Amino acid sequence: MRRLLAILATVIVIAFGWLTVLGLFVGDNLGFLSPLVEAGRIRELTALLLQIVVMTAAVTIVIGVLNLFQVHGGRILRQRRGWPYSLVLLFSAVLVWVLTLLERNGMVFTPAGERTPSTILLETVQVALEAAFASLVLFALVYGAYRLMRRRVTWTGFLFTVVVLVVLIGTLPLPGGGFSLMAQFNTWLMNVPVSAGARGILLGIALATVVTGVRVLIGQDRSYRE
Amino acid sequence: MDSTTQFITLAIILLALIAHLILTQASRRRQGRTALRSIAAYETLPLLVGESIEADRPLHLSFGSASLGTDGTLIALSAAELFYQVAQRAATGMTPPIITLSNTSVLPLAQDTLRRAYATRGRIERYQGGAARWYAGGGQTLAFAAALTSMVADEQVTSNILAGSYGAELALILDTTARRNQMSIATSDQLEGQAIAFAMSERPLIGEEIFSAGAYLEGKPNQVATIASLDILRWLVIFMILIPTINVLTEGELFRLIFGGR
Repeated sequence: MRRLLAILATVIVIAFGWLTVLGLFVGDNLGFLSPLVEAGRIRELTALLLQIVVMTAAVTIVIGVLNLFQVHGGRILRQRRGWPYSLVLLFSAVLVWVLTLLERNGMVFTPAGERTPSTILLETVQVALEAAFASLVLFALVYGAYRLMRRRVTWTGFLFTVVVLVVLIGTLPLPGGGFSLMAQFNTWLMNVPVSAGARGILLGIALATVVTGVRVLIGQDRSYRE
Repeated sequence: MDSTTQFITLAIILLALIAHLILTQASRRRQGRTALRSIAAYETLPLLVGESIEADRPLHLSFGSASLGTDGTLIALSAAELFYQVAQRAATGMTPPIITLSNTSVLPLAQDTLRRAYATRGRIERYQGGAARWYAGGGQTLAFAAALTSMVADEQVTSNILAGSYGAELALILDTTARRNQMSIATSDQLEGQAIAFAMSERPLIGEEIFSAGAYLEGKPNQVATIASLDILRWLVIFMILIPTINVLTEGELFRLIFGGR
């Protein structure tokens, strides 16, 4: 039975995968493929499939909320390490959920032009905390660069540290010939080697994505075969 | 999309398909004699799993903000393959690995990855659905990073494998793991995350190395063929960049030499 389901899943993935590829990539001017796609109404089918994907992704939010309650509820009941934070999390989640429901049903009055209570809650708590954490990223990066050199001094680590220093100094808006030269070098660095390296990495990822996608399209991906 | 782009896109997909099919057969004939270059992260993985089993503490695996149905679909599937290989090895221990994610579309994939790993080992009774955890973050990736910094401390994980979609928030997570002397393997399909993974992770995976997890950890012919197909496409792109560049530098002489004409 399991084998049959695996075969069925593989057939569905291959069939609908190729239909979606044809529907998305074949336009009006592509030889014999265009009339084939037109006749089979594959573009409409592709649009329908993509809508189903969006709806399925929305349903998974419900699964996520259930998972949240399962994990943190279990931690509270078993009083595992950090359980007070789980209690705060669940309480906050329920509070925001109830508040939003009340707002949507018009049971919470908000004067015209004023922010809703849930928006105020989001901006005063979430945004403030995110800003605080964003400020920590700089220190984490500096510490990371320090650890890179402390762990073992390699040519790549040394080059990384030098480039970080050059970029940081070159970005400073300070007057003087030396700083101006550094700024020009910084600009060249960002436009030539950094840009080239970034494109190289992105190209590699893009090619690997194509090959992995092909594996999915021919039914070789493990996630639905087993 | 204009017809030239459509044609080139379909041609690349077909070329990748043909190369993959041919190389899968070639790899089967070589019967595991294909030499792959060494990648430190994959060589360290079995040690990390062993350490986790011996310490009876969980491994932490994370998708980051990778999601299904968007640009991050294939990085999510590739990370799932890596996590399957890790979970399969860790299934012999008492404590299951913890998989975290910030996008709910990946939650069923994460749970199924764990379930299949345990089922393959014949230890399905030890499978726990709650080992896959959604930490709400979505677009607010710093919130997810903050949650993970707390989680790695509370759960006393031994090591972290962060493979998915990360931005600058990866620095916070890796900073915490470093302070706790936890080994980390990290990679991201975003450039910022990739750079941070290189600088701060003990064993980074660079660029497309995450897509090679199956070939290095299991070595089936179709997985090894993925790497070979990737190499062929890579050389093709290199020639497609170099040849027109040389032609421009020689003011058209190269094409005149190849194709003739004035």
